[in-house]
Amino acid sequence: MDYHGLLNLSVELGCQLMESGAEIYRVEDSVLRLMRAYGAQDAQIFAIPGCITVSVSAENGEPVTRLCRVDAHNTDLDHLELCNALCRQLCEQTPPVEQARRQLADLRRRRPRFHPIAVMLGYFLIGAFFTPFFGGGLMDALCGGLCGLAIYVANRWLAPLAGPNMFFRTLLSAAVSSLAAQLLVYAGVGQHVDTITIGALMILVPGVSLTTAMREVMAGDLVSGVSHTAESILTATAIALGTGAAMFLGGLL
Amino acid sequence: MDFLLEWILPCIYSFGACIGFCLLFNIHGPGMLICGGGGALGWLVYLLTGLCSATIFPRYLAAAVAITLYSEWMARIRRCPVTSYLIVALLPLVPGGGIYYAMRYSLSGDNQQFLATLLTVFGIAGTLALGALLASSVVRLFITFAHRTRK
Repeated sequence: MDYHGLLNLSVELGCQLMESGAEIYRVEDSVLRLMRAYGAQDAQIFAIPGCITVSVSAENGEPVTRLCRVDAHNTDLDHLELCNALCRQLCEQTPPVEQARRQLADLRRRRPRFHPIAVMLGYFLIGAFFTPFFGGGLMDALCGGLCGLAIYVANRWLAPLAGPNMFFRTLLSAAVSSLAAQLLVYAGVGQHVDTITIGALMILVPGVSLTTAMREVMAGDLVSGVSHTAESILTATAIALGTGAAMFLGGLL
Repeated sequence: MDFLLEWILPCIYSFGACIGFCLLFNIHGPGMLICGGGGALGWLVYLLTGLCSATIFPRYLAAAVAITLYSEWMARIRRCPVTSYLIVALLPLVPGGGIYYAMRYSLSGDNQQFLATLLTVFGIAGTLALGALLASSVVRLFITFAHRTRK
């Protein structure tokens, strides 16, 4: 049994799962099931947001461990589904480790992505639909969509200036969108600055980390559950601060 | 006409916004429609429970329970993680407006209103968590029970 190859395979699977936004218990459970399916009964895994550690004893009793840091995660639910399906398939069929690793690498290379224009359309749609959802009119919806696009622009080109820190990125995006909303209302395109701002802000709202946090707490992962809760509170604070700063600026002008 | 404006349109907005989030989170194919349907269903339940409840928390609870049951069901049918549908469908219920108004009140120095809004935001977030937790625990219990009786 190639324990080194197996260890690499399972850590890579765990990394891909975590990168696409899986909950911690899903990462731990998938890796453990994979190791067991390949006959490593004493495998151990410990995962927290941003880090995976897997340890297993080779047949001569020598312990083998691999630790992997995972970068700040974006949410890619399609990739998550594919990883999950591949994990199930590997557990059932247990193909040779090398072949399994190739399959896993293929998954990363072939992952279907939306064209950037489709993603931009997504930002526009969220802003445009949430604005009337919160009580705006037709022109307000258009402005909400445009503010959504402003968030896309800020995320793509301005946020890297703020470094890897999620807090400042969110703050910057929120400020840009709020400024755009005030400008559009000032120019007479939209009418209600409140609903437009809220509609566009829904893009930044920490719904994902909130849902993840609560599912993790439910599964008993208190460490990651609490850290995701803190993340969602910080994101909400960043949104409020960014919008507040932009409102203050807009009031001055 | 009023019926359309009050009941159907908000659900359509919720549906469309969820489709937008599907584009952001890279959900393809029929999954998009399922997520959108979940968002619309959640808001419909929220609106309907407004008929029999004056306060918002029971309404958010009912909506979260409905969305979770729907997502668990769809995930069973399509044999994929329930997370994808749950995350997107819950998003329209997340209190984005509350965050904004809390900020407005604190900016204008109205501490009373600021604290009240902030507490409502935390209450809604907690209620959503509780509803989803409750529903998925019940589903899990039910499935374990069904498996055991089948054997």
